[in-house]
Amino acid sequence: MNFTSFPRVSINFETSHLVFPTLISILLGILLLAILATRWRAIWGALTTGPHWPAGIDHLRFFGTIALTVLYFLAMPQIGDLFPNEGYGFLIASIPFLFLMSLLYLHQRTRRYIVITAVNAVIAPTVVWYMLSTVFNLTLP
Amino acid sequence: MDFLSLITPLFLVLILCGTMIGIIFGAIPGMTATMAVAVCLPLTYSLGLENGLALLLGLYVGGISGGLVPAILLNIPGTPASIATTFDGYPMTQRGEGESALKVAIFASLFGGLFSLVVLYLFAPALADFAIQFSYVEKFLIIFLALTVMAALSSSMLIGIFSGVLGILVSLIGAYDVSRGGNGEYRLMFDFMEPYLSSGFSLLPVLIGVFALSSILIEAEAGVPENAGARKIALDQGKKFHLSVFSGQWKNLFRSASIGTFVGLLPGVGGSAASIMSYSQAKAFSKNPRSFGKGNPAGIIASETSNNGLTGGALIPLLSLGIPGDATTAILIGAFTLQGIQVGPLFIGDNLEIWNAMIVAMLFANVCMFAIMYFAIRHIAKIVTVPKYILLPIILMMCVVGSYTINYGIMFDVWTLLIFGLFGYLAYHIGLEIAPFVIGFILGPSAEIYFLKSLESFGTVSIFFTKSWIAVVLWVLIAISIGLSVWMSRSGARHHDET
Amino acid sequence: MTGLFTKLGLAAGLALVTATSGLAQDLPKNLRVVIGSTSTGGDTYQAASFVADAISKHFGINAKVDAVGPTEAFKAIARDRRGTTIMIHHDQSYLGHLYGVKGYEDIFATYKIGPTLTINPGNAYLVPKKSPYQSISDVLDAAAEGTRVRVAIQPGGVSEIGFSALKNAAKIKKPGSEKNLVPVNTGSQADKDQLLFDGQADVINGSVQSNEQYTRLPEDDQKAMRFIWLTAAQETLDQVNEAGLGGTSREALLQYATPKSSVTLDGEKDFTFDKDFFIIYNKDIDPALVEAIDAGLKEIYAEGAIEKSMKDAFFVPHFMPSKEATTYLEKKRDDYRKVIEAIRE
Repeated sequence: MNFTSFPRVSINFETSHLVFPTLISILLGILLLAILATRWRAIWGALTTGPHWPAGIDHLRFFGTIALTVLYFLAMPQIGDLFPNEGYGFLIASIPFLFLMSLLYLHQRTRRYIVITAVNAVIAPTVVWYMLSTVFNLTLP
Repeated sequence: MDFLSLITPLFLVLILCGTMIGIIFGAIPGMTATMAVAVCLPLTYSLGLENGLALLLGLYVGGISGGLVPAILLNIPGTPASIATTFDGYPMTQRGEGESALKVAIFASLFGGLFSLVVLYLFAPALADFAIQFSYVEKFLIIFLALTVMAALSSSMLIGIFSGVLGILVSLIGAYDVSRGGNGEYRLMFDFMEPYLSSGFSLLPVLIGVFALSSILIEAEAGVPENAGARKIALDQGKKFHLSVFSGQWKNLFRSASIGTFVGLLPGVGGSAASIMSYSQAKAFSKNPRSFGKGNPAGIIASETSNNGLTGGALIPLLSLGIPGDATTAILIGAFTLQGIQVGPLFIGDNLEIWNAMIVAMLFANVCMFAIMYFAIRHIAKIVTVPKYILLPIILMMCVVGSYTINYGIMFDVWTLLIFGLFGYLAYHIGLEIAPFVIGFILGPSAEIYFLKSLESFGTVSIFFTKSWIAVVLWVLIAISIGLSVWMSRSGARHHDET
Repeated sequence: MTGLFTKLGLAAGLALVTATSGLAQDLPKNLRVVIGSTSTGGDTYQAASFVADAISKHFGINAKVDAVGPTEAFKAIARDRRGTTIMIHHDQSYLGHLYGVKGYEDIFATYKIGPTLTINPGNAYLVPKKSPYQSISDVLDAAAEGTRVRVAIQPGGVSEIGFSALKNAAKIKKPGSEKNLVPVNTGSQADKDQLLFDGQADVINGSVQSNEQYTRLPEDDQKAMRFIWLTAAQETLDQVNEAGLGGTSREALLQYATPKSSVTLDGEKDFTFDKDFFIIYNKDIDPALVEAIDAGLKEIYAEGAIEKSMKDAFFVPHFMPSKEATTYLEKKRDDYRKVIEAIRE
């Protein structure tokens, strides 16, 4: 962008992809400075005193959710690749994922709740898989 | 009245089925009206044009409307156009007024749909001629107007704008889209990201990542507390719905429906801009702007009236210019061309029967939508009583399905969901605002293209002020919107100091 | 533990079902057809669904079209050596590479070219009805006389190749005059039309399908347009239904194409561009599969039903088995490379 004779501007098409990102980055920088200028006390205080990690969180459930989700995402295409274009990757990976997630979130792991969990873990993905993959012919992993 | 012979029982049944399936698609986070229409498009070959259109229009109306359900009950916009519905819908659910909020939204949707239908029927060609007065310059100003809402949405104006601008920046990652007129060069990323990010992050996974996955992470962090007793009471305790909610809302209804219809008829501006703009205008003209975002039914009315107003609006350029007004109508074009029907400026005159049948189909679809949703509400609203250990994993699974299928099977979109789920979680803790971020992300690419193309065509910055009277009107609206945000944040700060 | 057993049993059962059904050694039971377009309302999707439907019926399989767009489609076939994913795209796939667009590789080196399927003969250039340019040679004359002519295109492919040919012809007519043909880079058809309505472009790239009705509007309508050039070859347009499209007959369309409307390629021959749709495979795909699809398509085209549905939708059937198709497309690529290199500054 060439501002030599403002307000006239000329934009070179070859480099036009950088114009808007540059403008937005500058704007973002200015806003960041403004935030720092008006709130540096609060920010500095938070950085120096308080704990860097929120205290009293449920570590098992929080990290368990992230770990299971990552495993789930990794497993889906791998399993799906064994049965191309059938959507079984989604189906086979979702059942244990749902079961383990529910188990993780359950507070009283009584026999009754575990059965409910297991039934749900089988039925929900199967229904979704059947509807989307078979009835609507959508591509699933 | 030849077209009456086209209205067979099958025609009506197809509309009903379409609307129902559409609502389900719309209600599942990540599944959209566009996808519903796309998956059913192949069915229309065998149905014939009128019956095929009956199904597709039902899907369209149902899909746009279904998005309000998760927006209100779960704080997850089912479709991008229902993002503004969450602002006041979810606070109402938290107060125990979920059912009432749903009813408000359904009435508003019906009104928006019917309003835009009347406009479509009476004024389609004239409005199409008006729409082509909107060049890049005016479209940029519309987007800019929608962006100004960022400032008004957040508790702190500075943080809100920062989050929104960050959203714009993130939306620019990847190639400068050739199909919209860019040069296809990559920016804001490293070479190793090329295979994944060449077309940037997709909207839907980002949207449900920051709304749905991040709230699951926040729940998990808190140990997923189950409180069944409190929930039951909550569902029954809230204020009961009464039509009187709408008294005093006529202006809001008409304004929002008009904005929806109007934005719908501008190709390339998009539905999310419509509901966001209606929301901000409703807030700007409200006597009590501070109650917005805290469960004010007027906010739901604004958002839902306008996103259903889109349905008729987006059909205007499709049927009178041959240009789709949004992503869904872009697929409808396929239904016409496959049946050998040309859409363009002569379509309505040449195909009066089809035109009339479409109007009837839209009318019936809106009625079906209302009937289905209104009577299913009691049951739909119970979704909040499902225990979290069952509900949260299912929501997560549906988000995965939605992310994967939205672009017809791309695994990176599923990872995008996780990336932005974590981002949403962090943003929550460091105090960034999610709603402005998402609005910036949605509108960023359009803002870029219209801004640059305006300058490329006219070669001067002053064109934004001098192009036409439309530009001047838009600047006035922008000034009102910004002025209001500044005023609110000033008086809010003073209020804060006094207490 | 019940859940675990159920799921193990289910998984084993599924594995057994697929293993046995996979034994038949022809086409995969579920064939994924990815296309180089993200639109399900566009011509690529339409062309691909004609073929996918026909293949499904012919082989008794389930072929499904996924509109994932060029980058993802290339990635999908690059990953899949088994041939359960194939790609359908058009000339953009190599033109993108010739124009140096990011994300496009040399498809002839990186992938295996399959059969050609059909042609969309609709690529067109239009002017406002009130425009002083009556024909494409008027545009070239104007450029030669030093008038600046703005042409709205989507850069980097099918929409630009006709414009490049125009520049090339202008250069041949009067070297230096090609500089008077300036591109207005834009995106969708709606954007191009809008530029014409705004008076920000003198000529736009469009198509018979999407712009024909505009050519029938009265001259005092701001939206009225006129065709000045169709890039399709005469042989291609000859195969279009006699009624043409909408209110424009084949006879009328032929007025705008070579030889009546001439844009020279090299001073002797005229430039033509037919938008060909063809299959692209993974480089290491089983040759038996390629054979099977070639043979199947040959029978499908011989039956003639596909021809009728294509013609009804203003497509021209154009089947060529893989080997011939490769030679044909390489020749096309070489011709267009010359055009693009000739006008490179």
